Amino acid sequence: MQGPDVSWYLIVAALLFSIGTAGVLLRRSPLIVLLSLEIMLNAANLALISFARMHGDHTGQVFALAVMAVAASEVVVGLGLIVAIARRRLDLDVDRLRVLRG
Amino acid sequence: MIAGAWICLLAPLAGALTITLLGTTISRNTAAWISTTSVFAAFGGSVAAFIGLLGREHEERQVVTSAWTWLATPNFKVDLSLLIDPLSLTMMLIVSGVGGLIVLYSIGYMDGDPEERRYFAYMSLFVFSMLMLVQAANFLLLLVGWGLVGLASYLLIGFWHERPEAVAAAKKAFVMNAFGDATMALAFFVLMWQTGSLNFEISFEGAQTLSQTTVNLVALGLLGGAVAKSAQLPLHTWLPDAMEGPTPVSALIHAATMVTAGVYLIVRAHPIFELAPSISNLAAGLGAITLLLAGLVALVQTDIKRVIAYSTMSQIGYMFVGAGLGAYSSAMFHLMTHAFFKALLFLGAGLVIHHLAGEQDIRRMGGMKTVMPKTYIAFLIGSLALVGIPPLSGFFSKDAILASALASGGYGQFLFILGLIGTLLTGLYTFRLLFVVFLGEPSPLVREHTQAAQAHAGEEDASRPHGEPVHHGEGPSTMTWPVGVLAVLAVAGGWIQIAGLWHPFGHWLDSIAFGRDHIDLVEPTVTQDYVASALAVALGLVGIYVAWVFYGARKRSVPRFEGFQEILEHKFYFDELYDLIFYKPAVLLTRGLRRGVEEPVIGGSISGVTAGARETAGAVGGVQTGYLRSYALVIALGVAVLVVVFVSVQ
Repeated sequence: MQGPDVSWYLIVAALLFSIGTAGVLLRRSPLIVLLSLEIMLNAANLALISFARMHGDHTGQVFALAVMAVAASEVVVGLGLIVAIARRRLDLDVDRLRVLRG
Repeated sequence: MIAGAWICLLAPLAGALTITLLGTTISRNTAAWISTTSVFAAFGGSVAAFIGLLGREHEERQVVTSAWTWLATPNFKVDLSLLIDPLSLTMMLIVSGVGGLIVLYSIGYMDGDPEERRYFAYMSLFVFSMLMLVQAANFLLLLVGWGLVGLASYLLIGFWHERPEAVAAAKKAFVMNAFGDATMALAFFVLMWQTGSLNFEISFEGAQTLSQTTVNLVALGLLGGAVAKSAQLPLHTWLPDAMEGPTPVSALIHAATMVTAGVYLIVRAHPIFELAPSISNLAAGLGAITLLLAGLVALVQTDIKRVIAYSTMSQIGYMFVGAGLGAYSSAMFHLMTHAFFKALLFLGAGLVIHHLAGEQDIRRMGGMKTVMPKTYIAFLIGSLALVGIPPLSGFFSKDAILASALASGGYGQFLFILGLIGTLLTGLYTFRLLFVVFLGEPSPLVREHTQAAQAHAGEEDASRPHGEPVHHGEGPSTMTWPVGVLAVLAVAGGWIQIAGLWHPFGHWLDSIAFGRDHIDLVEPTVTQDYVASALAVALGLVGIYVAWVFYGARKRSVPRFEGFQEILEHKFYFDELYDLIFYKPAVLLTRGLRRGVEEPVIGGSISGVTAGARETAGAVGGVQTGYLRSYALVIALGVAVLVVVFVSVQ
C-alpha cells in the first residue's frame, strides 16, 4: 500500500470534525452553520472510509454513501429554511431566531 | 293469606315507584290517587292475611314466608322473609288502615301544592317502609325498614324545603334517629356474634344462654333505638320540631305509626327484654318521666300541632310503661287506640289549619265551634278519647296499662302514681286546646277566613281559580270522610277489650308469647282494674274541669306559672343542653380540624404539589433558551462525555 498510514487519515478526519464543530458553535450565520455541519459530515465520511480500508471491509464505504445521501437531503431542507427566512426579511442570525422556544 | 301479606308490603312500594317513574306525565291528582289506592290495596292485603290467620288454630299463628335468601355465609344466613303473626298483623292493619285514611285526607289537604307528586311518592314509600319494619321476620330486615322510615320521615318533614326551619327539623330528626340506629346496630352485632342468627326465633332461643351483661347490652342497644324512634327521653327533642312537616305527615308518621315502632320493637323482642329486667325497668321509667315532662310542656305550647305532638310523646310514654313492665297486650292496645284518636286530632287540627290558610297559633284562634261544628265534634271525640273518658277507646287501653302498673309491685306502683298525674295533665292540656281553639267568640282571624270562604262558596260555579282551596263547609269530602271514620274508630275502637270482662285482643296476641301461654307478664286483679280506672277517670275529669275554669271563658290561652314558666317554655332546656354538649363541641372540632388539618395538610399538599410542579417546570424550562448555539453546545458536550465513557469503559 502506498501513501501515508491509515492513522493519518483519521487524524485529518478528527481535525476536520473539530473545525466543523467549532464552526457550528461559533458562527452566527445559519448558512455558515450548515457549511460547518457539512464539514463535520465529510469528516465522518473520511473516518468511515479509512476504517473500511484498515479492516478490508467495504461496509464502511457503503455506509459513507448512505451518509452522503442523508447529508444531501438535510442540506436541501436547511437551505430551504434559510431561503424562507431570508424571504421574510428576517435577520439571518442564529442568536435572534428564538421564537420556537419552550 | 301469604299473598295478602306480600300484597300488603309491595303495593305501596309499587305505588311509590309508579309515581316516581311516571313523573310529570301524570297529573298531580292522579299521583295522589295512585298513592291512596296503593295504601288501601295494602290494607286489603292485610285484611286478607288477617282472615287467613284467624282461620288457623291459636298455636299455629306464626307463619313465615320467604322470598329468597338474601345473605348466606357458612355461619350466618338471612332470608328475605316476612313473619305473619298476630303482632305483625295488628301493626299491618293499623299502618295500612289509618295510613290509607290519612293519605286520602292528604288529597284534599295538599291540593294545589306544586310538588304533590313528590309528597305522595314519599307517603307511599313511608307506608312501604313501615310495613317492612313490622312484617320482617328477622332483625336485619327490621333494621332495613327502621332506616327507611327514618329516611321517609326526613323527606316528609323537610317537604317544604324552601323553609329553613323545615330543613333544620328534618336534619335534627334524622341525626337523633341515627343515634338510635347505631345503638341498635351494635345490639344486632352482639346478638349475631353470640347467637349466630338475627332470625327472631333462633336469636331468642340463643339469648336464653347468654351472660347477663351480654343480654343487658343487647337490650340496652334495642332500647336506644326504640327511645330515639319513639321520641322518649332523652332522645325526644326532634318530635316537636317535626311538626314543620305537613299535618297529614304529622298524623301518620309522628302519631300513628313511626313513633310507635319503638313500642313494637320492645314487644317483638320481649324475650330479650325479659332476660334483662333492669333494662325493661329503665324503659318503663323513661316512659313515665317522658309522659310527665311532655304533659307539662304541652301546657304552655301555643302551636296547635305542638300541643298534639307533646301529647303523642306523653302517650307513647304510657306505652313504654306498659311494655317495660311486661303488659305487652295493653301497650299494643293503647298503640292501636292512640293511632285512632291521635290521627283524628291531627286531622281535625289540619281541618282548622286548612280553613285558616295555614295559621297554627292558637292565640289567634277561637270560636271555631260556630264556624266548623263537625270538626268541633270530631276534635271533642278525639280529646275525650285521649283523656280516657269512658266509653271511648282511650279509656280501655290507658287504664289497662295503669292497672298493670298497679299490679307490678313497688316500682310499678310508683309508675302508677306518675301515670295518674299524667292523666290529670292530659285532661288539662287537651281541653285547654279544645276550649281555646273552639269556644268563645270567633277571633278576628277566624272571622276573616270564614267570610272569605263564604264569598268563595258563593261564586263556586262561576270561575274557580285552579288550585285554590274552595271551602265547601269544613273541607272537601276527601278530608271529612277520613275524619269521620277515625271518629267512629276513636269511639268504638276500645270495645274489643274490656278489662276484667272480655279479652279478645289480649288473647289474640297471646300467640306471640315466647315460651309461655300468655303474652302479658302481669295480670291485674279486677279490683286493681277498677281502682285504676276510677282514679284515672276522676283525675282526667279534674283536669278537664281545671281547664274549663281557666280557659273556658277564654280570658287567657297560656298558663302563667310563677318561676316555672321559663323552664316549661324552654321545654326543660333539653335543646339548650344538647346544643351545649353535642352541637357546640362538634362545631368547634370541625372548625379546628378545618383550620388545622384540612386547609394546611390536605389542601396544602394538593396545592403544594401543583406549586412544586409549576416551579420545577419553570426551572426545567430554563433549559429551553431558543439559542441554536447553546443547543449545539449541549449536544457536543454530550457526545464528548459519551466518547470518554465508552473509551474508558472499553
